Amino acid sequence: MNWGRRGVKRAAGWLLVATGTAAFLLFAWAQPEPSSAPPASPILSDTPLSERIVAYEIDVRLDAEAKTLEATEVLTYRNRTGRPLQVFPFHLYLNAFQPDSTFMTETRRDNPSFELEEERHGSIEVTSLEVVGMGELTEQMEFVQPDDGNPNDRTVFQVRLPRAVPPGREVEFRMSFRAQLPEVFARTGYKRDFFMVAQWFPKVGVWWRGEWNCHQFHRNTEFFADFGTYDVRVTLPQGFVVGSTGVEIGRANNPDGTQTLSFHAEDVHDFAWTASPHFEVVDDSFAGSAGLVKIRLLIQPGHLEQAPRYLGALQGTMQHFDRWFGPYPYSQITVVDPPHGGGGAGGMEYPMLITVGTTWWLPEGLRFPELVTEHEFGHQYWYGLVATNEFEDAWLDEGINMYVEAKVMHSLYGRETSVLDLWGLTAGSIWFDRFWYSNLPDTDPMTRSAYQFMSSDAYGTVTYAKTGVVLMTLEGVIGEETLLRALRTYFERYRFRHPTEEDFLRTVEEVAGEDLDWFFDQAIRGTAVLDYRVQSIRSYRVDAGAEGERGGGAADFRAVGETEEEGEAEEPEEGEEALYRSTVVVHRKGDFVFPVEVQIEFGNGETLREHWDGRDRWVRFTYEREARVVAAEIDPDHRVWLDVDQFNNSRTREADRRATRKLANYWLFCTQFFAQLLAWLA
Amino acid sequence: MAGGESGVVVAGARLVWRRQRVLWWIYGVNLLLGLFATVPVASRLGRVLNRSLAAERLVEGFDLTAYIELVAHPSAPLVGGEAGSLFFSLVFFVFMLFVTGGLLEVYRRDETLSPGEFFQACGSYFWRFVRLLIFLLIVLAAVGIGAGLVGVGLDRLAEDSPREKLGFWLDVGGGLVLLVVLMTVRLWFDMAQVRAVAEEERKMRRTFLRAFKLAFGNFPSLFWLYLRISLVFWVGLAAILWVWVQVPPQAIGLSFLLGQAAVVLWVGTRLGQRASETLWYQRRQPVPTAVAPPEPSPAEPSVEPVA
Repeated sequence: MNWGRRGVKRAAGWLLVATGTAAFLLFAWAQPEPSSAPPASPILSDTPLSERIVAYEIDVRLDAEAKTLEATEVLTYRNRTGRPLQVFPFHLYLNAFQPDSTFMTETRRDNPSFELEEERHGSIEVTSLEVVGMGELTEQMEFVQPDDGNPNDRTVFQVRLPRAVPPGREVEFRMSFRAQLPEVFARTGYKRDFFMVAQWFPKVGVWWRGEWNCHQFHRNTEFFADFGTYDVRVTLPQGFVVGSTGVEIGRANNPDGTQTLSFHAEDVHDFAWTASPHFEVVDDSFAGSAGLVKIRLLIQPGHLEQAPRYLGALQGTMQHFDRWFGPYPYSQITVVDPPHGGGGAGGMEYPMLITVGTTWWLPEGLRFPELVTEHEFGHQYWYGLVATNEFEDAWLDEGINMYVEAKVMHSLYGRETSVLDLWGLTAGSIWFDRFWYSNLPDTDPMTRSAYQFMSSDAYGTVTYAKTGVVLMTLEGVIGEETLLRALRTYFERYRFRHPTEEDFLRTVEEVAGEDLDWFFDQAIRGTAVLDYRVQSIRSYRVDAGAEGERGGGAADFRAVGETEEEGEAEEPEEGEEALYRSTVVVHRKGDFVFPVEVQIEFGNGETLREHWDGRDRWVRFTYEREARVVAAEIDPDHRVWLDVDQFNNSRTREADRRATRKLANYWLFCTQFFAQLLAWLA
Repeated sequence: MAGGESGVVVAGARLVWRRQRVLWWIYGVNLLLGLFATVPVASRLGRVLNRSLAAERLVEGFDLTAYIELVAHPSAPLVGGEAGSLFFSLVFFVFMLFVTGGLLEVYRRDETLSPGEFFQACGSYFWRFVRLLIFLLIVLAAVGIGAGLVGVGLDRLAEDSPREKLGFWLDVGGGLVLLVVLMTVRLWFDMAQVRAVAEEERKMRRTFLRAFKLAFGNFPSLFWLYLRISLVFWVGLAAILWVWVQVPPQAIGLSFLLGQAAVVLWVGTRLGQRASETLWYQRRQPVPTAVAPPEPSPAEPSVEPVA
């Protein structure tokens, strides 16, 4: 072949293309693509991870027009209580969406103007109940109200079997039920053709601490159930994209225009699912220490460009949890982004599925999608794996999760900017929690049952914010590394179990190696408020006496000029050395007794730290030095997050008016602007 | 008659500049009343912040949680501040209603008035403008009711729609329509005030109706005149805000100056609208010039009879 110059150039070009293509293919082959195929098994383990007390098999058909469910359920319950069981209670959570339910009654108690609109009614009805080997028991079902006796509340029913189920044996319940989904405003329901189907099937209570634990559904309570397996077949119109707890194990299109999808989940204590024809599916994966976890993000088309925000936050969170506490044991996590108007379904956790939320205009510096992703994934550990009783010990999942949320968000996005970093405005997660708590610090102890709090505000403040702040303060007492180790121990010891508050507190004490009841009694079991303040700082010159003696011995000090902290002190003459007597008074305003450090700063730049046990109401520190005290600060390392007033934790001798001037400037401008606005009418 | 609308806008700006004493007086009163509202707030804030190291979080940057904690502080440093600001804003509003007659007279005559003349003009028109204000409030109430009803409908439409951005665009569209309506109402009533001063009109219902005819008969040119001046303000305000965001958070003095520049800009452009509309009116409806009284004729020489 005659190459010639042109031929050589052409060959070089082809070689370049070929090389580039080969390199690309090699690179692409080397990078593991997130697979869209579901994992083979729902758990990253060859052996069961939990006791598997329950096994649910549910066939459900969704009528997308009528917003109803028709379903059959087979529940196999394994009696591992050690005693015979004859009565079985079940939750029917969807009946909370009736006007006179306990949930709605409590909502109206806090908000008298609340009205449950027609489209927000929901219900669930068990149309038949049979126990294998014991016959049809539909007529034996009776609604009970163990918490408040409200006869209109039908969120719990119980059935008495003809004979008890011996310990170690199984019983099989076969039910048919139908449900009306409400328009979503509280976790579950629909919005147009989006469905978030949660707490949708009759769910047996938990045998816990020697008795059945099956509370009514209250305004402020969440859920509590046993670990087991779920096999769920969902039939719904074709074209819907479905996400769920567990993994998809099969699908088929039906001749009537519906599709049936099969899901399987192991070692979980709930099963939720979602469906929408508008979901965009974004696949990702996380390489955890237990194996590869598939991430399935179901996102609204209009939010697609925010997918990296969700996925980035999730990856970072999963890394932290894996490193700090242990591996995520499931093979998949589904993240659901609700549509416009469906925000009531957002910000919620279910085993292997979380709901998040954002809006199309949310700027990067407003980290709401990141925060909610972190928080809801955190619940996979605190609630999903360590399955505490959310009715009675809500702080154990919400509060621990808030503490860990602050840690993770600080690590990922900066301590002062983890929530907000926009146009010069900043806010960190723990600062928000501290402020939230300080607004209502003294109404209820953390240990109170969720449905017994003074109000929804009090429940939220104490269960979420206060617990987070309490644990952050505890971190200051025992050290960050110790507390994280305690949480890891707690996680490893109690995952797939139902621990109590004492289990958690004793674990912390065990790992810390010290008795912390002095702290727990006040912070967790009590309602004492922590507030220390620098009451005063004073300095005055003392004279050395006629012979110029100074210091020690007989009191020959005459106060030459006594100065208040705000006054002008007599300045020493040039060359004259002055001795000052300074006092700093620290006052414990609140009832919470907590040891604090106080940093004293002198005019010559010297600082020293005092320690005070806080037992008395006040303490006075006195100094005689050649420099005045110019500042005093309680908790200079900012570890006592429970202190409700940060502004009185320090006092300076000299006033620094910059902050006042800055805020006064803003106030002035706003007033002038408003005046000018009003003058538009003139 | 003098040239087109651009000429009126520029001439109005020049008129404001020539008679800038009015602008500085109005700004000065605005600043003074703002200070009256701010000083008590600053005093209460100072009791919490001046000797607290925690205040640093508000100086170096602006920690929103620190600000919110301050607002909720047990000593309630900001409680009562809103009432004070509202009160002084109302005082400013009454002040502006009072001086409008005087400032329109200044622009009409294009000369500096003595304090006596100025306040005489203010006084003689004040109650007429109060009556005009009542008409304005009635019109605004009707606009408000209409806007409210439309808003409820649009909100429902947006809420039920699967399109998330629909609500935003409806708000933007509705907001723009409302802005146009409000600007139209304002220029109508500005015209009424201009006419009242130009014609020394005492009957406000007549001037209200005639101004309506005048304003809507010349709507495109008048609205475009108002819109251009408003755009100067909005663009200027956006520029000031942009600069303000770049300024270091500790630069309190510069921040103050930028805020005051925004206020001056607003006062200036509002006066620009008044001045331009006065000139527009004069050019369309020339005011009869005052006829000077006849000069006395020179005395006839007396003729004495010859003896």
